[in-house]
Amino acid sequence: MAGDSHNQRLKPQPTELIDRNKSLEFQFDGRRVNAHQGDTVASALHAAGVAILSRGFKYHRPRGFLCGAGRCPNCLVNVDGVPNVRACTQQVRQAMNVRHQNAWPSLNLDFLSVLDRLQWLMPVGFYYKAFHRPKFLWGLAQRVIRRVGGLGSVDIDADPVTTYRHRYHHSDVAVVGGGPAGLAAALGAAEQGVGVTLIDDQPELGGHLLFNSKDFSGLPDLADGSGPEVASKLIQRVIESANIEVISGATVFAQYQDNLLTILHGDELVKVRAKSVVLATGTYEVPLQFQNNDLPGIMLTTAAQRLIHLYGVKPGNTVVVATVNDQAYQAALDLLNAGVEVAAVVDVRPTYSHGLEAATTLISRGVPLLTGHAITHATGKKRVRAVVVASVSPRSPDSPARRITCNLVCMAGGFQPANALLQHAGGSLDYDEKSGEGIPHDLPNGVYVAGEVTGVHDLATALLQGRLAGLEAARLVSGPGSNQEEIGRVRQRLNGLETEPGIIPSSPVSAPPVEAPTESRGKKNFVCFCEDVTVKDISQAIEEGFEDIQMLKRYSTATMGPCQGKMCLKALVGLCAQQTGRTIGDTGGTTARPPVQPVPLAALAGPSHMPVKRTPLDQNHRDLGASMVDLGPWQRAHSYGSPQEECLAVRQRVGIIDVTTLGKLEVTGRDAGALLDKVYTHHFSNLRVGRIRYGLLCSDNGTIMDDGTVTKLAEDRYFVTTTTGNVDLIEEWFNWWQAGTGSCAHVTNVTSAYAAVNVAGPRARDTLTKLTDVDLSAQSFRYMRSAQGAVAGVPAILLRIGFVGETGWEIHVPAEYGQHVWETIMEAGREFGIAPFGLEAQRILRLEKMHVIVGQDTDAASNPLDSGMDWVVRFDKEDFIGREGLKLASEQGPRNKLVGFIMQNWHVPEDGVPVVSGGKPIGKVTSARFSPTMNKGFGLAWVPAELAQDGTQISVLVNGVPQPAQVALQPFYDPEGELLRQ
Amino acid sequence: MAFLLNCPNCGERNVHEFRFGGEATSRPTPNSTPDDWIRYFYNRGNVAGVQREWWNHRYGCRKWFFALRDTVSNQIQETLWP
Repeated sequence: MAGDSHNQRLKPQPTELIDRNKSLEFQFDGRRVNAHQGDTVASALHAAGVAILSRGFKYHRPRGFLCGAGRCPNCLVNVDGVPNVRACTQQVRQAMNVRHQNAWPSLNLDFLSVLDRLQWLMPVGFYYKAFHRPKFLWGLAQRVIRRVGGLGSVDIDADPVTTYRHRYHHSDVAVVGGGPAGLAAALGAAEQGVGVTLIDDQPELGGHLLFNSKDFSGLPDLADGSGPEVASKLIQRVIESANIEVISGATVFAQYQDNLLTILHGDELVKVRAKSVVLATGTYEVPLQFQNNDLPGIMLTTAAQRLIHLYGVKPGNTVVVATVNDQAYQAALDLLNAGVEVAAVVDVRPTYSHGLEAATTLISRGVPLLTGHAITHATGKKRVRAVVVASVSPRSPDSPARRITCNLVCMAGGFQPANALLQHAGGSLDYDEKSGEGIPHDLPNGVYVAGEVTGVHDLATALLQGRLAGLEAARLVSGPGSNQEEIGRVRQRLNGLETEPGIIPSSPVSAPPVEAPTESRGKKNFVCFCEDVTVKDISQAIEEGFEDIQMLKRYSTATMGPCQGKMCLKALVGLCAQQTGRTIGDTGGTTARPPVQPVPLAALAGPSHMPVKRTPLDQNHRDLGASMVDLGPWQRAHSYGSPQEECLAVRQRVGIIDVTTLGKLEVTGRDAGALLDKVYTHHFSNLRVGRIRYGLLCSDNGTIMDDGTVTKLAEDRYFVTTTTGNVDLIEEWFNWWQAGTGSCAHVTNVTSAYAAVNVAGPRARDTLTKLTDVDLSAQSFRYMRSAQGAVAGVPAILLRIGFVGETGWEIHVPAEYGQHVWETIMEAGREFGIAPFGLEAQRILRLEKMHVIVGQDTDAASNPLDSGMDWVVRFDKEDFIGREGLKLASEQGPRNKLVGFIMQNWHVPEDGVPVVSGGKPIGKVTSARFSPTMNKGFGLAWVPAELAQDGTQISVLVNGVPQPAQVALQPFYDPEGELLRQ
Repeated sequence: MAFLLNCPNCGERNVHEFRFGGEATSRPTPNSTPDDWIRYFYNRGNVAGVQREWWNHRYGCRKWFFALRDTVSNQIQETLWP
């Protein structure tokens, strides 16, 4: 990139934020750039003579420094791999790597800028009407457009560059905006003793005061001296206040109900909940419309002021300042003082405001003031070289247009209040003819406004408004009556001030009604810089009938880019009003929605909140070489090598599995049995102490929710197990049916309190007998019974149940003894050939027993009658949850039934494949495995009820080919449960 | 959705701490007509206005309670024990 000597550092400025003693260096597209500590990427690049910072979204025209405040799209760059970073607010870090976006091969030479001459291909709303015929063209066009258009790209293969954190923050009062009004509001609230959070989006507090060199002396006790002096006094008081917490360099990107503010602050997303909020968000300066108004070197007056005062950078050599208000005169004076030659101040109004000091100074220093004039076009290729200025008066058509050479144009297109947050909060706006701004009309509860966002541009008023808003916000927190007198006093003084002219008189429409040369190839007059929407586009859209401002926005996409209308809404509304012959008030505005500023999706997503739970036996599984799987929040052992061998160990010897993840609830109290009777389909209050019963939970319409076992430990104490993933839901479900009934039943989730193992197989009894005094003999400890006693020396609940179909015990012990019990059982079982088995083996074993897994074999529409579990539904109970739904279902009869099937050849289907008939799916396999006991594929499947007969032939799709299978209604293994009861 | 909800047990908390339990319905008595049951299973008022609904303080005290909420504005008029 060729160095451009137009720009350079000024001599040290009293207000600059940079530290000239500290030098930094960074890379921009491979070129080394020097900077000072405190520089932004854009200020350093500007000082180094880099004019082009990006290329336009659609036409790839060169774009440069425009707003200087993090609003516009012109300086979006890639910083250290993070796309779409605003160079004008990103502070330089040593050795950072900054790259351009959206240009090929480089910013200076972008071949895609040929699009600037192809605008006939892309008229406004072209994606609604072009490239649609012939049909194949759209697919092609879409691919090309997506490549060519758009902004930075995310490298999806790279590791995430930034991991964002989320933080909650609570505050009595939140003040948004660190300008004079915001500072005054924070101080006003803090002195009332409430906690204040002050949030500002700029690197330093102070707002426009930081670069406002106007002399504010003589303002009664509010302020004294120049802007930066006033600012530093206020900031000093804010820093000294113990009640104020400052978050700077942070964007409040949304306000939600009940005063929730969401803030992006570096790599942290802060959610601030405040009792009251003061919005002192200020205004955005906006550009003017003239041909080629997007050339590098054309910037806002406030942007030039920031360069001079904050970063000590000379914005250009010769400037033309164009304006619709008084703001530009002070800016022109600042430029003059910085050694920039001011070629002209071009004011669209017939005259500047009476008594404007800056204007008289400019005249005395020989600066030509052209009132009643506007810029019609700018010329230049990669930077502005000259502008053409003409009279705006229709009565002097002959007044000659003149060409003024310059390499800098500063635009003062008026101010647009930053009222998006106010709109999020539900506030409404009114258009104020005098200031040409939309000002707050209705404020939501707990929201206060102060400063320029209310349409005032006068420091004394802003400070008083801020103080008043701060006092009122504090009153809302502390209660009525507090500081009433002070509020009255400030209000009175404010009323006194408002009689004086405090407003920057401004032309209501920023786009001057000048007959500009019509747009042609490569010559455009931009309204929306983000989306490359021109004045001509807007006119054409209105001609096509999109007269409503909301429709015009959607059709033209103006205001819909990264700046979200900050640069263009005022112009869009002005043009729309002008061309449809309405007032600006009648034309209205577009709706502001979150986010105010673009936010990386990674920031919204935040860190992963997926907790991982490990059982107390986790290390044992890993030591045994288990492969682990995620099951709900838990990690479980899937297998220790060969599920088939693990199955055989259980069937022939003895196996042990960690079942700690089972949901476990204790239901206690006088009415515990009654509660269980109500929620389960089966009886439980009549269960005898020490007995276990299988329990099925249905929703009220009769569909299956969950299952598990219920053990009666004592008259008023039940031990309930649920499926692994559902325990929280079931706890809530029990409590829901319990809520408000006044009955005495308590549900306690004890899932993590117990570690549990299931020891099953022909040698299970031999193994456990070595470790317990509890009599495990078949006569004393029968199937579906429980006991409490010591196992391996620790207190345990033993449940004799048989999910895998063998003699076995589920042993629950306090979690801290889990590892000890596991290791002791493994040791005791060694002589019998004990083997640990994992989830996969358990699935095969239970499938051989046709034990259903809720959620795997059933879905949200399955009921117990269809699923072959009618035996647990007790219609003889007067009421239970699901009774009436199941009664209706039983009257209608099932359409489909869950049945077992066994393959008639060597094929093994996958879970989820269809059952087919005549080439059409008629059912679905829910679980299928190879059985090491039967040496066949087998499983469970839903089939039409008429096929649910033992021995019926069905076809199951395996790898797309129907394969024969036979329906089985009885368990494949130990159908009578004899082994289970031994 | 970002409003505050007043748990009758714990006080005002962020709505994200709660589980929404749907609008409050009244369960027919056993042996009501099938139509009554089907209405109760599947039909909801879905009002645009104030609705009585269930909430559970899932990440707090885990109690169920009622809220009277305006479904248009999310304004909570009242929360109460069932």
